[in-house]
Amino acid sequence: MSNISHSPTELEGTRSTQDIGSQAKVYAARMRLQNAIDQADALDAIREIAGNLIGTEEIAVFKVDQKRSELWLYWSFGVDPNKHSVLEIRREPKLKQVLGGKPVYRLKLSNENLLSTDDPVSALVPILVDGNPSAVIVLFRLFPHKPGIEPVDREICDVLSNCAGRAIEPYHSR
Amino acid sequence: MPKKVLLVDDSTTTLMMEEMILKQRTAYECVTAKDGLDAISRAVVEAPDLVLMDVVMPRMNGFEACKRMRLESSLRETPIILVTTRGEEEYVEAGFQSGCNDYITKPIDSFELVTLLHSYLGE
Repeated sequence: MSNISHSPTELEGTRSTQDIGSQAKVYAARMRLQNAIDQADALDAIREIAGNLIGTEEIAVFKVDQKRSELWLYWSFGVDPNKHSVLEIRREPKLKQVLGGKPVYRLKLSNENLLSTDDPVSALVPILVDGNPSAVIVLFRLFPHKPGIEPVDREICDVLSNCAGRAIEPYHSR
Repeated sequence: MPKKVLLVDDSTTTLMMEEMILKQRTAYECVTAKDGLDAISRAVVEAPDLVLMDVVMPRMNGFEACKRMRLESSLRETPIILVTTRGEEEYVEAGFQSGCNDYITKPIDSFELVTLLHSYLGE
């Protein structure tokens, strides 16, 4: 791949192409989740979105227990399920934050992990069902060539947060 | 006649995204296929000017589909760009050995995609 330098006009074109790319990613993510035919397809949609649009193939979904003290592993892809079966909320300050309803992201170049695990966590995304966080999507290690979570990834995570309810509640309306 | 691009991916999310970007930023016509086998038959019928193909797919992966396309006389010279999740040398080398012309890594950067396609097909 060649290095590309830009004149001011080209830079505008670059920005506009990148804006369209961002819109396309957000739109594709929303449509994929809204058109999921059942629970398994909704989980597959999460995997597709994480892998193709954000850039990670290490994903887990944890469901909040009734007492809201723990999160239980519900589904995972690319991670060892035995290593991440339960997350205790009292031990994980970032989880408390996520259960407030907003995603939490690891900052670029930050060494601080979002969970007390050896595996690097890039984002914690609450799944909202009727406005309440009922589960959390954990996005672990990003692809090696991906420097960190970008602004468009945050928009995609907002879509995941608001549209992935069917993945954990089969009869959740979209 | 607009140039024709065959987009190949088992992910509807990716196909939707690629199609949106190309429709808004280029004059190319897009046709799609869901896996490597489907891609070969579509390519023979549609005679695309370029193929943009994922590597990991069910039924037949992108490397194998690329090799088989090169055996078709009508597709021998068609530029094939593989979409990979890995940019490592070994993986990229496997792509070139299968007969691809170039590669792009996931997640796709729209500017990189459009620039790359323009370099093969013109604006």
